[in-house]
Amino acid sequence: MQRAVRHAVPRAVLRRVLEALSVALILATICFALLHAIPGDMALRIAVGQLGTENMSPAAVEQIRDAEMLSRPLLVQYFDWLKAVATGDIGRSFVSGRPVAEELRQAGGYTLRLAVIAWLLSYALALPLGIAAGLKPDGAIDRATAFAAAAFSSLPTFLIGIALISIFVLALNLLPPAGYRRPEHLVLPAITLALGLMAPSMRVIRDAVAEVQASAYMTYAHVRGFGKAKAFIRHGLRNASVPIVTFAALQFAYLMDGFFVVETLFNFPGIGNAMVSALLARDVPVVMGCALLIGTTFAAISLAADLICMWMDPRLVDEGHGSR
Amino acid sequence: MAAVDQRLLWTIGAATAVTIVTIAVIIGRDPLHQDLAVALAPPSMLFPLGTDHLGRDVFARLFHALPRSIGIATSAMAAAVTIGTLVGLAAAVSNRLVDAAMMRLTDLALAFPGLLLAMVLAGLMGGGMLPVLVGIALGQWPQFARMTRSVAAAAMTEAHVEASRLAGLAGWRILLRQVMPRVLIHTASLAALGVGGAVLTISSLGFLGLGLQPPTPEWGAMITELLPYMDVAPVQIAAPCVALFVTVLTCMIAGRRLAEAI
Repeated sequence: MQRAVRHAVPRAVLRRVLEALSVALILATICFALLHAIPGDMALRIAVGQLGTENMSPAAVEQIRDAEMLSRPLLVQYFDWLKAVATGDIGRSFVSGRPVAEELRQAGGYTLRLAVIAWLLSYALALPLGIAAGLKPDGAIDRATAFAAAAFSSLPTFLIGIALISIFVLALNLLPPAGYRRPEHLVLPAITLALGLMAPSMRVIRDAVAEVQASAYMTYAHVRGFGKAKAFIRHGLRNASVPIVTFAALQFAYLMDGFFVVETLFNFPGIGNAMVSALLARDVPVVMGCALLIGTTFAAISLAADLICMWMDPRLVDEGHGSR
Repeated sequence: MAAVDQRLLWTIGAATAVTIVTIAVIIGRDPLHQDLAVALAPPSMLFPLGTDHLGRDVFARLFHALPRSIGIATSAMAAAVTIGTLVGLAAAVSNRLVDAAMMRLTDLALAFPGLLLAMVLAGLMGGGMLPVLVGIALGQWPQFARMTRSVAAAAMTEAHVEASRLAGLAGWRILLRQVMPRVLIHTASLAALGVGGAVLTISSLGFLGLGLQPPTPEWGAMITELLPYMDVAPVQIAAPCVALFVTVLTCMIAGRRLAEAI
């Protein structure tokens, strides 16, 4: 019995880590399948990418087929692909001829900076509003935020962005419309993403706080003579945090949906922009690179969120999953 | 329940009336007709919402785009509901191992961001109606599978199902007669919300240039095309924005109403 308890925590953690690894493996496999499923000769495409259409010759194509070992059995190529993915070397762009990893590192840096700012900004707005709404369910703040959340979730990201551009760029002439070099270039994309993110997280925070407020242990804390604020900080906050942390990780998915649109709208050179232009140019290695990077980041973030939840609420260890 | 049915009938009736009037108004208007002489013309009697950069009638384009977007969104949702319901029912009646395997698969598909999937599929297949439809359906089926499984599993433990089984009713009959109606009620509200989400995805893909291809009228693509003329053609760009917002909001409200009615 004691042994089982001692092993419960590492086993739950291990199980969750294995799950995240299998997600990454399946993702890499899907990418490999897609890469080989698209019609056309792969060696020819790589040759065009590296040399350009005018310098192409059948000899060059054959040379690349040998160099990239494309004539070997698919299974061998599959394991080589997995090895390549693990080391981060997934080939060259059909368009620029540069290694995909190099292109993505630069774009990823821009996107990461934008993501962190937008995410922090959305919680800077959603946390106070959500807690205020949850402390007084059906109060004025609760109704107003519920309405705002419903309206914002029916708005596609590009509409928020266009509205912000028409106000701050065209009407007030306060901010530059597009670019990425100066800090003020980040303002509008970050606000656009943050407003889209804020709507659902505000509701999740509100529900978590309202549920904790209605619980028996909060009533008991009041009975023991804790004031409202003290009872919430001592007992409410930690319990309300579990669903909030889980949702914060899920939001990465929303954030990514937003990136494609926001980066395209503001011409911001991040991963979303790279992926959209690679798709338009049918630059398959870059598309796969972006999908792999986004997918594995998503798996890593939800793993981290689950582990944090297990640490905050050890009861979750028994269930084996932090967040379900 | 009766009150809800009446309200639903009214809504359907109103929607049909609006559609008929719209069709009557736009008949004879060609959404693809270009006339550069009237490019970016402001709203007038002839062009109620002005013209775009190629002199096409924005009003006609707006209303020709509506049935297409709704049609794709509804078909994608129908496909997602079919796949999801089948997978969910299969998981609910299977043994534990098969059930666990199917639900893991569903979790995995659920973890994949929907727009990303639609983008990659539509992008690699070259845009157009079918890739967009397939991309959306593949992103949406897992939520229906998960919901079906939980509703069906709960329904099968109930007394009347047990009674039918003891009475000797065949397994598939029990599923069809007693489990499916329960599942479908829950599916309806999720699907209505899903249609709204799908309309959003279609317009996002159009906006990125990966969805329906020009010159097909589509709200997202219309917005992208007019973006460079934002300062001289505010009405033309606001029109598809408002249309999109109203359509999605309607689907969301319908979904929520259905959820409350359960």
